[in-house]
Amino acid sequence: MEYLGLLNYALFMAIFIGIYALLALGLNIQWGFAGLFNAGIAGFFAVGAYTSAILTTEHADGRIGGFDMPFFVGWIGAMIAAALVAWPIGKICLRFRSDYLAIASIGIAEIIRLVVKSEAVLTNGARGISGIPRPAAEFPSMAQETAYLASQAAYLAIVVVVLVAAYLLVERQFNAPWGRMMRAIRDNEGAAKAMGKDVEFRRLQAFIFGSALMGLGGALFAHFNRSITPEAIDPMVATFLVWIMLILGGSGNNRGAILGAAVVWIIWSMSEIATDRLPTEYAIQAKYIRLFLIGLMLQLVLRFRPEGLLPEPLRGDRRAPKSGADHT
Amino acid sequence: MKTKILALAAGLMTATALASVPAKADVKIGLLGGISGPIAAMAPAMIDAAQLAFQQVNEQGGIGDGEKLVGVVGDSACNPQNGTDAATKAVNIEGVIGVVGPHCSGAVLAAAGSVTIPAGITMITPSGTSPEISTLDDKGTVFRTVPSDDYQGRALARTLKEQGYEKVAVAYLNNDYGTGLANAFKAEFVDELSGEITQFAAHEEGKASYRSNLAELAKGGADTLVIFDYGDGTGLTILRQALENGFFDKFVGGDGMKSEAVINELGAENLATFVSSSPVGEQSESLDIFNEAFKGIGGDPDAIFATTSYDAAFLLALAVEKAGGKKEDVAAAMAEVSNGEGETIRPGEWKKAKELIAAGKAIDYKGAAGDHNFDEKGDVPGTYALWEVGANGFEVLTEMK
Repeated sequence: MEYLGLLNYALFMAIFIGIYALLALGLNIQWGFAGLFNAGIAGFFAVGAYTSAILTTEHADGRIGGFDMPFFVGWIGAMIAAALVAWPIGKICLRFRSDYLAIASIGIAEIIRLVVKSEAVLTNGARGISGIPRPAAEFPSMAQETAYLASQAAYLAIVVVVLVAAYLLVERQFNAPWGRMMRAIRDNEGAAKAMGKDVEFRRLQAFIFGSALMGLGGALFAHFNRSITPEAIDPMVATFLVWIMLILGGSGNNRGAILGAAVVWIIWSMSEIATDRLPTEYAIQAKYIRLFLIGLMLQLVLRFRPEGLLPEPLRGDRRAPKSGADHT
Repeated sequence: MKTKILALAAGLMTATALASVPAKADVKIGLLGGISGPIAAMAPAMIDAAQLAFQQVNEQGGIGDGEKLVGVVGDSACNPQNGTDAATKAVNIEGVIGVVGPHCSGAVLAAAGSVTIPAGITMITPSGTSPEISTLDDKGTVFRTVPSDDYQGRALARTLKEQGYEKVAVAYLNNDYGTGLANAFKAEFVDELSGEITQFAAHEEGKASYRSNLAELAKGGADTLVIFDYGDGTGLTILRQALENGFFDKFVGGDGMKSEAVINELGAENLATFVSSSPVGEQSESLDIFNEAFKGIGGDPDAIFATTSYDAAFLLALAVEKAGGKKEDVAAAMAEVSNGEGETIRPGEWKKAKELIAAGKAIDYKGAAGDHNFDEKGDVPGTYALWEVGANGFEVLTEMK
């Protein structure tokens, strides 16, 4: 029974790590490859989550949809919607240099959050959308405890498939000429321009690809919880936590992004169990220790290992240099 | 080297986590609350009130064969990410038999959807007011001791109409609480009672000045401002600025506005025209008992949602006792311990309840926040009163129906 509980908890953490790893991968395309300081992750997360929710829920009065579509349609829709929202934003904002872009993107995430909260016709406003179907959630023939375990394991399998697919695609792009070009633009924009690269257009590409992945992460999150509310678009847990994951894991390294998501979420989640060992009269104060812990961790990493746990591979290409043909 | 230190820290933490096998003799209940995050100011009193219920249970014979009831506090931070995380830890690591909380509706929906409903754990929230919670496909496992916003908004509209308010402007906080109340109020006041709402506007929390919002609200010529907000937050700012600038003559608040902070900050003499609704109905015997007990442990009984938190915890304890400690029966037992039938149990009367349950008699808990009596959705109707500010703080002006 107790091992079953631990297993359930481990599955739950793995699902969350998978979802956060998608967000971190998306951010890695934007920041790690292209050097775009996007501090509006929560916004694209929300667009994805709500798009998928609207597409897949049953019809509801008082708001648009739902269209009762299968979940994968919702997830693809989430990516498309996040990309579509990213396009005009990128068109306008990517002319800013790094920190100005950060300010603009925080603002955009807030705009998206307020629209989500206020436009009841679109998103059911502050009440959010519930009753979102979760794939492979019902195992009526099993006992409750095994059914719970099975539904978590099934969802984890789906998340892992999505994450591995995303990782392989992003990794391929990273090693492809496109990835080298993006890093060239990031490191020396003038030189890249002189080589005839369309810097503006390429930046926009990276921004849109990254945002689409964030939208997908949002969709996976909404289906896992069977609900999405504006409270989920909290910048603390949907933007800054992702940044911490990427910085700690190693920006510019896709495996680092995934590792960072795992390390940070495990510490974030498990630290509560550790702080619960304090005497009960400190139960409430103890909750703040983990907020402190995450901040401290970021400080230490930035101070002692700014390149992250897994640094960006210097030559870019991690494949065995067996032939030069791969590089062309 | 540095990675090693980090790895070591992580390893230590894991070890601490795994070493903590729950003691067999305790029955654990999860107390999930928004300890960090936007309602951090309200959460400690709510947690303390729930702990008070467990303390009373333990003092009066404990649960089952004298086992201790232990509240496991988890931080839901008022968002679904932390809410589900805290819930899954409570259910899977701590092995709780039921959950009191989370405090915010979004966290309730997510934690119910991804953790407690699949795991078959009973959940009772003291402050999740969203009407969406009623519609959850929860197999009867989700309850609440606070009425859905729908009830209060409609009751307030009817009472105001009776009191002769005809033309009002409505300002509401743009979250599930404010929106829910405001829409229910509007539906009843305008559509059912043909009152007039001149302006109906949402505002965001935490701004320094709401004068432009107030100027806009005052445009329709209403003399009354209805505020659905929190009296120790943005609602206070709005009320102060409206008074200072004389935008309105009369003010009405929802239960969030019935906060001592309003009187302390603005002074009772300035609040002669301020009334506020609150789920605490008549000065019931149950409420007095709770107030005494909560003062006894140094709590403030007027803290928002303290009564509902206490009731949620006590009801869950009663249900666990009635279910004989079997977690799959707790939900069904919960519906039975407060359904209006059977011997009355008041706050703190654990010993009496335990004896009655052992004798197989029906009990009916009448709590500090009202009689409860769950309907088939796990909701409670709630009893409300309209309060005015008198010399000794808030006083009941009239009952609300």
